[in-house]
Amino acid sequence: MAILEIKDLHKSFNSNVVLDGVDLSVNKGDIIGIVGPSGTGKSTLLRSINLLEKPEKGTISINGTQLNLPVKGKDRKKISELRLHTGMVFQRFYLFEHKTALENVMEGLVTVRKLPKEEAKAAALKELENVGLLEWQNHYPKHMSGGQQQRVAIARTLAMKPDIILLDEPTSALDPELVTEVLNTIKSVAEQGYTMLLVSHEMDFVRKISNRVLFLDGGKIIEDGTPKEVFDHPGSERAREFFEKMRGLKEPEFYI
Amino acid sequence: MNTKFSDYFSFKLVWDRFPELIKKIPITLELAGLAFLVSVVVGLLIAVARYKKVKVLAKIATGFLSVMRGTPMLIQLYVAYYGIPAILKIFNSWGANIDVNIIPKIVYAFIALGLYQAAFTSETFRAALESVDNGEIEAGTAMGMTYGQILKRIIIPEALENALPGIGNSLIGLIKGTSLASTCGIIEITYQNQILAGRDYRYLEGYVALAIIYWIITVIFERIFKFIEKKIKIPDQPKAVEGA
Repeated sequence: MAILEIKDLHKSFNSNVVLDGVDLSVNKGDIIGIVGPSGTGKSTLLRSINLLEKPEKGTISINGTQLNLPVKGKDRKKISELRLHTGMVFQRFYLFEHKTALENVMEGLVTVRKLPKEEAKAAALKELENVGLLEWQNHYPKHMSGGQQQRVAIARTLAMKPDIILLDEPTSALDPELVTEVLNTIKSVAEQGYTMLLVSHEMDFVRKISNRVLFLDGGKIIEDGTPKEVFDHPGSERAREFFEKMRGLKEPEFYI
Repeated sequence: MNTKFSDYFSFKLVWDRFPELIKKIPITLELAGLAFLVSVVVGLLIAVARYKKVKVLAKIATGFLSVMRGTPMLIQLYVAYYGIPAILKIFNSWGANIDVNIIPKIVYAFIALGLYQAAFTSETFRAALESVDNGEIEAGTAMGMTYGQILKRIIIPEALENALPGIGNSLIGLIKGTSLASTCGIIEITYQNQILAGRDYRYLEGYVALAIIYWIITVIFERIFKFIEKKIKIPDQPKAVEGA
């Protein structure tokens, strides 16, 4: 059964069309990798699902909450419902700088889920343990590495128990040696049965953890299939070119 | 003729001025405190209007800032001193019934001082608000926090750390600025000194005593603000846990 259903989604920034009629149906437990060239609407697609961007046209429904676009004044309650169904992990982590790791994870539980403080703390500690950062609970973001900050951000998202986790290039802002620890965390989250949409340029990782891969170009989904289908036998010239280029990048261009 | 140093300057006279001047410190502080309150409230409103780019309000705020920054404090005090009663009299001529004489002089002074300082404080606030990473606001939004919650729990606490040094400076500026209010006939420490000097013509000793008093007051407030800044800053250490 579909947990997320997107129909005919359109979004432009001024005259620049970024999403040009996206249809997507996601089943519970799906791990969906979203790949494609820069500026083809991957991030915008994710950010439209939790209404950080407001598409002009289309419908979004998650777990029974349906929103018809464009957004109208009376939709505020629906938007906050959609946001409760989803959790987002950002490229640049965006932890709350003046709060400790633990307070970051507790924040949504206390203010949005309205849990009593003790309960929120217990839940937050569990999630920090889940990402292997229990000992870092009292540290402030500025004292943590990018990889650790991103893992706290993942814990913060998991703590809210979202139906769908949206990951927007979660390793793109990290130093190369920190990428692995974050990918390992994402992998272990994926194994816990969460539904995930992952925008990433880590092709090998996407191939390994997803059960379905989307290739976006020009604001449309032009490839949709298993990792094997999309990566090994793409139907479109555009996708083939892109994957070849990505593979080429892995061959060292310069020898020292 | 035999002149002594004490004919030109007497340390004893400086010392003797203090008790009489200190009596008026409460007036100086009251004036500075009220003006500070006005400056923080008005400054915050202007800053938010400009930060959130509220169309008409932001335009008005920008015009207000330009006028307040482009004219001398002293002139503004006089305009308030003569202008506010004039406005009230116009209201009265339209049928309102306000007794202009009932309004204490200090009201004109703290409104004028407060509005003047608000022009500067608002820029401190705006810079502090803009220093909060937009991404943190998005993170809060994405997790379902309302804008009010984000403002209260994320933006303001983080902005405060950046705003505090500027707020401290603004209070210190106001404390010194109160000396101008003597021109509106408010007997605070500067005016008090003029009264005393008028009796014995020892102006220099009086002004030296006055300078020392202003200096001590501002140093005290500087210390207080430094202390608060330290309290509010993100610590360089992990947070200490009770019982650990």
